[in-house]
Amino acid sequence: MTARPRAWKTALGVFFTAVMLFPVYWMVNVSFTQTKDMRADPPHWFPWDPTTEGYRAVFHQQLPALGTSLLIGLGSVLLTLVIAAPAGYALSKLRLRGTRPLNFLLLVAQMIPAVVMAMGFYAIYLRLGWLDTVVGLIVADSTVAVPFGVLLFTTFMSGIPEELIHAAKIDGAGTWRTFRSIVLPVSRNSIVTVSLFAFLWAWSDFVFASTLDRNGAMIPITLGIYKYIGNNTTEWNSIMAAAVVASVPASVLLVLAQRYVAAGVTAGAIKD
Amino acid sequence: MRATQTPPVGSPGTPGREAAITSPPGPGPRPAGRRIRSTQWAAVAFAAPLLVYLVAFYAFPLYRNIELSVHDYTIRAFVQGNAKFVGLSNYADIVSSQTFLPALRNTALFTLVSIAFQYAIGLGLAVFFRNNFRLSGVLRGMFLIPWLLPLIVSASTWSWMLNSDSGIVNSVLQAFGIGQINWLTSPGMALVSVIIANIWLGIPFNLVILYSGLQNISPDIDEAAALDGAGGWKRFWHITFPLLRPVSAITLLLGLIYTLKVVDVIWIMTTGGPGDVSTTLAVWSYREAFGTGQPAFSPASAVGNLLILIALVFGIVYLYLQRRQEES
Amino acid sequence: MIRLVKSARVAAMVGVLALSGAALAGCGSSASGGSSTSSAGGGTYTWWDPYPQHDASSDWTKRVEACGVAAGVTIKRTAYDTTALTNQALLSAQEGTAPDIILLDNPAVSTLADTGMLNTTESLGLDTSGIDPNLLAAGVIDNKTYGIPIGANTLALYYNKTILDAAGVDPSTIKDWASLNDALAKVKAAGKKGISFAGIGTEEGSFQFLPWFWGAGAKLTKLDSPQATAALTLWTDWLSKGYAPNSVITNSQNTTWEEFLTGTFAFDENGTWQVNSAAKASFPTGVIQIPAENGGAAPAPTGGEFLTMPVQKDTARYTTTKKIVECMTTTAGQVKTATTFAYYIPPTAAGQAQLLSQDPSLKPWVDAVKAAKGRTSDNLGTKYPKISQAMWTAVQKALSGELSPTAALAQAQQAAVKATS
Repeated sequence: MTARPRAWKTALGVFFTAVMLFPVYWMVNVSFTQTKDMRADPPHWFPWDPTTEGYRAVFHQQLPALGTSLLIGLGSVLLTLVIAAPAGYALSKLRLRGTRPLNFLLLVAQMIPAVVMAMGFYAIYLRLGWLDTVVGLIVADSTVAVPFGVLLFTTFMSGIPEELIHAAKIDGAGTWRTFRSIVLPVSRNSIVTVSLFAFLWAWSDFVFASTLDRNGAMIPITLGIYKYIGNNTTEWNSIMAAAVVASVPASVLLVLAQRYVAAGVTAGAIKD
Repeated sequence: MRATQTPPVGSPGTPGREAAITSPPGPGPRPAGRRIRSTQWAAVAFAAPLLVYLVAFYAFPLYRNIELSVHDYTIRAFVQGNAKFVGLSNYADIVSSQTFLPALRNTALFTLVSIAFQYAIGLGLAVFFRNNFRLSGVLRGMFLIPWLLPLIVSASTWSWMLNSDSGIVNSVLQAFGIGQINWLTSPGMALVSVIIANIWLGIPFNLVILYSGLQNISPDIDEAAALDGAGGWKRFWHITFPLLRPVSAITLLLGLIYTLKVVDVIWIMTTGGPGDVSTTLAVWSYREAFGTGQPAFSPASAVGNLLILIALVFGIVYLYLQRRQEES
Repeated sequence: MIRLVKSARVAAMVGVLALSGAALAGCGSSASGGSSTSSAGGGTYTWWDPYPQHDASSDWTKRVEACGVAAGVTIKRTAYDTTALTNQALLSAQEGTAPDIILLDNPAVSTLADTGMLNTTESLGLDTSGIDPNLLAAGVIDNKTYGIPIGANTLALYYNKTILDAAGVDPSTIKDWASLNDALAKVKAAGKKGISFAGIGTEEGSFQFLPWFWGAGAKLTKLDSPQATAALTLWTDWLSKGYAPNSVITNSQNTTWEEFLTGTFAFDENGTWQVNSAAKASFPTGVIQIPAENGGAAPAPTGGEFLTMPVQKDTARYTTTKKIVECMTTTAGQVKTATTFAYYIPPTAAGQAQLLSQDPSLKPWVDAVKAAKGRTSDNLGTKYPKISQAMWTAVQKALSGELSPTAALAQAQQAAVKATS
């Protein structure tokens, strides 16, 4: 192939990407648009006369919600890791009996709609007094990530050479120490991958937040945006500014850890 | 590689965009029986948190959900816990409800049309990006952005873009002389609108999976065919596409299972309305339980359980396909 | 776990965790007290209300506390969101920890009364004879009264005087649907938008539809009557004639008000709670009552809260509870409530007279409240929510053009009968 068709392809690629990302551009554009120009006809394609009033409103009103989301995300990561990593080890290396049915259950678990889980949790939390609590949301959000985490850890850990574990045993290490000092450090990439997804899912969750935390004093950012939409529909710059801010941490995290994710994704993606 | 691990990362437009991985490999060749027994206690101990977790946070909520669906829970009974047992009458009620058939039809349309377009566009882009041109890696990375955004962000952006009076989409259409389309508020367009947004959300997932599927097809085969004089389209259709079939099947099925569950995109854009025209089973369940301020958990959980049944059917097809692929 | 992963990124995460800990502490201080556990003995009386927007330092809290002081006790006030309040109330009743007083949204009174957790006003010796019967009705089930309204709000039509003047419409001539339609036609001819309202598929949609529904003479027990069809056709005609924007299908009452405030609409159907906001609008506004089909004021639904007194194990507490309730519902007290919120009309003739002497501009609202009607009245009680859901669904289907008003209402009646049987 000569260079010219390639340049042509690059141009086409840029065009496709631009079309695909237009809604994202529009979100940013609207977030800087003045309220009076919001319903202008024709719309302002570029915020020539930008305002930061939307962002100021967000930082004024939504900062606690961002903190809550962060807390829920990190809590969900911790809970997921604590449960999934040892279980992955048990399933891959310790020859737990009943592995097949357990794997099957984990797969089925991923098919259950969140709205169904939300109803069950609502009924339980109402009794426990866990409604509108951060702990309640952390637990609910982790149900999305735990089956994923267990299956990912199991797959990864079964790739760890037996010799490595055997060597630790010979040195007199118990199962726990082997897990802690050999298996976990080796599984660093999958830990990052699982953490990343657990965080992203918890951060983006709307269904659990809107059902289990609707009246909480601490609401996550997704619910903050939702309540925004319900209340001030002419201030779309504030809504979109909140949306931009809510997108930033997720994107930053992915950019920072993209190497790990790419490794995790492509390694297991397709059968060779 | 020993692991057959399909879609590693999340799925298109789903509530939490849950990811799924297929079953990990079973235990390897078994060593001597004695060693199994000696590690069995440790294995149980390591798996114990998971087992407790599954019982407490999966089995119990699901049990509660089934229980809700066979009782008549009013707000009062919900709190006092003395709901009347009504057997399957909630199920009979929802099936005979005016919303049932439209919701079933919308669920089918939403799911099938979404995944068909997601797949077709995702595959087209994957093939396109397979040519390593300048910036292809960067651009492919940027395609992930829609997938990363919290769904509420994407959904609210789309609903503003599709706003009847002040949305950018109508404004562009008007420039071409097309009159105002009430995307989100007319019975003909509401479902189309949420499908469009959902397709957009699912393209990155399909692109990533199909792209890595393509990467695993040896370029030699393609080159050999090219030497034989086969044209680009013919090569794709007769060689690449059949080789990609297992990956395609699993991508489509996963898309199906996850699209069935979608609540937030639809809820944020149209709340399933106007009337019921964009109400799917999942949205219906959400609305009955949480959407009206008058919680009706019993019918809602009946709808939800029905949805689980449907998802399970496709889930089992998926497992079957996957196992067959493992064996081949 | 974290300790084991020696990665700079995880270290960064830990830093973030520490940060969020700080954020948590920050939030904690602003969090409300959570569920109040028991109706504590001694001199503390518990009070729940649905006004989380009024915090501990607000005028409202001070007013509640003052009534406690007058009765010689301390009042501990806890606020919940409206839906949460109902749940919490039911839960507390079951656990025997109900508060002494709950200020409850009026449609919820029948739900709670139905469980037997509320005292009747009669059993506490409270006098309700001065309360307007149409306002008290939402708290009356089978001839027993379960609460006292502290005030009421309702719907009316706000208008944009600038637009009406330009279109040559005199708002005082709008007496029935025909004259309203004439006015809308003139406004449209003058190049402005006619009317905005909330047709959203929630209780708000039903709330907004009811004045037209009742104004046509329809009854909630028969959603498919010709009168009901006339009311829904009025709304759909507004859309098809371009008097109302398409956005009404998804508008909440807040949204429609925001639309009105942009100054492009001649009329907006909205509530007493916008009085202050209307005064601050960038154009002169006015209010007329929603006309009935054939003239006169249509009954609009009442909004507003009732003071309810949950059953207590220690019946000796009732004496003080009664004092607190009386303190809140004296004529002066009602007027004070009205001005504290700026959107409550006192439920008694005396209170209304006093409020009007302070602020004569509220006259249309006092009239509207007098003509208003409780949604759960006519002994509908707990059936109302189910009927309402069928009704707003019909409104949605008709406004969007999915079904004709007749067909939509026929479906709704079917659904309502099924749900309430």
